[in-house]
Amino acid sequence: MKSRILAVTAVSAVALATITGCSSGAAGSDGDTITFMFRGNDAEKAAYTAAIEQFEKDHDVDVKIIMTTADEYSTKLKAAITGKQIPDVFYIDPGSVQAYVKSGIVKDITDKVEESVDLDNIWEYGVDSYRFDGKLMGQGAIYAMPKDIGPFSFGYNKTMFDAAGIPLPDPEVPYTWAEFVDVAKKLTLDTNSDGTLDQWGTGLNVQWNLQPFVWSNGGDWLNEDRTKVTVDTPEFAEALQFFADMSNVEKVTPSTSDAQTLDTYQRWMQGQIGFFPVGPWDVPTYEKLDFEWDLIPYPVGATGETATWTGTLGIAVAETTKNADIATELAIYLSTDPTAQQSLVDAGVQVPNLKDMADEWVASATLPPANKQEFLDIANEYGRALPANTTYSAEWYDELFKNIQPVLDGEQSAEDYLAEVQPRMQQLLDKANADAGIG
Amino acid sequence: MSTTTIRRSRLHRREHLAAAAFIAVPVLGFLIFIAYPLLFAVYASFTKWNGLGEPVLNGLDNYVEMWNDPYFWQAMGNTVFMMIGIPIGLVISLLLALALNRKMRGTTFFRTVYYVPVISSLAAVAILWQWAYNGDFGLVNQVLAFFGIDGPNWLQNADTAKPAIVIMAVWKGLGFSMLLYLAALQSVPRHLYEAAAIDGAGAFSQFRHITIPMLRPVTFFLVVTSIIGGAQIFIEINIMTPTGGPEFSTASIVWYIWQKAFNYLQMGYATAMSVVLGLLVFVITAIQFQVNRRSQFSIE
Repeated sequence: MKSRILAVTAVSAVALATITGCSSGAAGSDGDTITFMFRGNDAEKAAYTAAIEQFEKDHDVDVKIIMTTADEYSTKLKAAITGKQIPDVFYIDPGSVQAYVKSGIVKDITDKVEESVDLDNIWEYGVDSYRFDGKLMGQGAIYAMPKDIGPFSFGYNKTMFDAAGIPLPDPEVPYTWAEFVDVAKKLTLDTNSDGTLDQWGTGLNVQWNLQPFVWSNGGDWLNEDRTKVTVDTPEFAEALQFFADMSNVEKVTPSTSDAQTLDTYQRWMQGQIGFFPVGPWDVPTYEKLDFEWDLIPYPVGATGETATWTGTLGIAVAETTKNADIATELAIYLSTDPTAQQSLVDAGVQVPNLKDMADEWVASATLPPANKQEFLDIANEYGRALPANTTYSAEWYDELFKNIQPVLDGEQSAEDYLAEVQPRMQQLLDKANADAGIG
Repeated sequence: MSTTTIRRSRLHRREHLAAAAFIAVPVLGFLIFIAYPLLFAVYASFTKWNGLGEPVLNGLDNYVEMWNDPYFWQAMGNTVFMMIGIPIGLVISLLLALALNRKMRGTTFFRTVYYVPVISSLAAVAILWQWAYNGDFGLVNQVLAFFGIDGPNWLQNADTAKPAIVIMAVWKGLGFSMLLYLAALQSVPRHLYEAAAIDGAGAFSQFRHITIPMLRPVTFFLVVTSIIGGAQIFIEINIMTPTGGPEFSTASIVWYIWQKAFNYLQMGYATAMSVVLGLLVFVITAIQFQVNRRSQFSIE
């Protein structure tokens, strides 16, 4: 009988634990512990761990680090939010800011930032990417500090130019499209005379490289107030057609069926591609290439102005945090503390967030690329946000690329395709704007 | 008399209490981890919800939207198409099982070889096959080139991407079905064959009239579980064709649901699609059970 009571008690205890186990054990903060959730590779993890240890010492807090792979991050964060286990400090991309603000997930940290940060010494683009005034991105309150900015630059294989006896491109004066194609043709060669090409002018991925061509030609994805999809303009069509023609007409890229990122990326690294994009995150890998390379501006279309995009990732503070002050300080520290920045720059994962530090970095660095200034010019002068970063959801933007293959294969004209896809994109943008309560 | 009744009822009550407590554990687990999420999903499917904030009821809007969403139908179509791997897999695994059921050297080795993909992580396998399908240096095209065939860039071509994923899925699933068939083959009573042989039945006729019917329960099990699994195909799609494939050709319904829920902030719409998918799988499975029951009557 005694044992029976014991059994009943034990079982009910287990059952009780099962129920309460779900509601208790909340993440987030108690007293002086805060959680920081981010994603990245090993180098970033090491750099952040070191920086955070310093922060813990200086502020006498415990920072619990939750790290995921890049693929898992968004899903895990959203699951944590749905489960009301929001980390105190976490990465956010500009494309999510509107939804996170509208849903009351991230905190407005404007006051604290303006009080403790010299905003003149940080890339304006970085901070502006996380400003939102309830209608438009880029202005209003600050909802995150930039973790980094990623000016998406253009590189060329110096060694290949020398071998072909072509004068090196001027880092100040960009090629026109015609000049670019001309040089690319000279670089498209069968170097070992076996009858098949083994070196190409370029090989670009449409999803990441169409933007510089469209913008430089005077086209864009959206109108000013982001209510209308403008991909059906002649400027846009001309740029997309030029992009496709590089493969189909000029034949300066590996054949279409081979021209996907993975392959051209590997070909570039093996020294088989003349021009290829370079982001700051590529630099540690590209340092080890066995040919010389450098940065130049993207070739220019009708406007005569070069263009490209700048990526960024932000560090936001949860609205629900119990330690708002220290959490905000951590976000600001990771974004702007010189020592923390230095450890990240040394890890080779990013351009410094601080302008003075970046100038020093350009002047002093010995590793390639020689023209590091190009990264800073993009950051400072002409880098733009990716089109989907200023809207509530990226669905309308992704729609452009879903069925673009026939254009890239030369089976459909850019003009026809864009006329056909614009209404679908518009419909999705309208939906996103309606969800965001805009327009 | 009366005292024993009381005693028994007290004893009963105590035992009932203990029993109830023991039953409570799985029941609570069911309520918390299955019933509640299920009911919540049904509720969420009638709401507009971005997955971050609070859901807001919007009636049948999600279902109407689904009806008018061409990508929903395309993803459904893709999912159904990719199920052609199921009968192919069943036939091949049965043939393999028959081959490996013979008494000869090396069967253990081959049984192990065919089972290795089953225990390997699906993600790792998908990455491996992604390399194999590479248009330039992929193993598949190198083998084809040996026979003078110029292989396509499998995963980047709208015509070949789906078959490519089907082939991989069949390969991955073979070992499992083969093992079940092997076990079933070995439990077929020998005397049936002996009796048939005496009656003059040949090998093929024995196979057709004894082996196949005796394997029916296993086939039934495999068909039901494969269709349920096939309806939920996701990992291989997401790894091998992270953008849903060229022209949306490999986007499965679960991949589309995930995309809507986690990338496009439409959790409400995504749950509505999940509910429809769940109902479909339920109905199809119910039909299969019905059909199976009838055909068993006809055997007996």
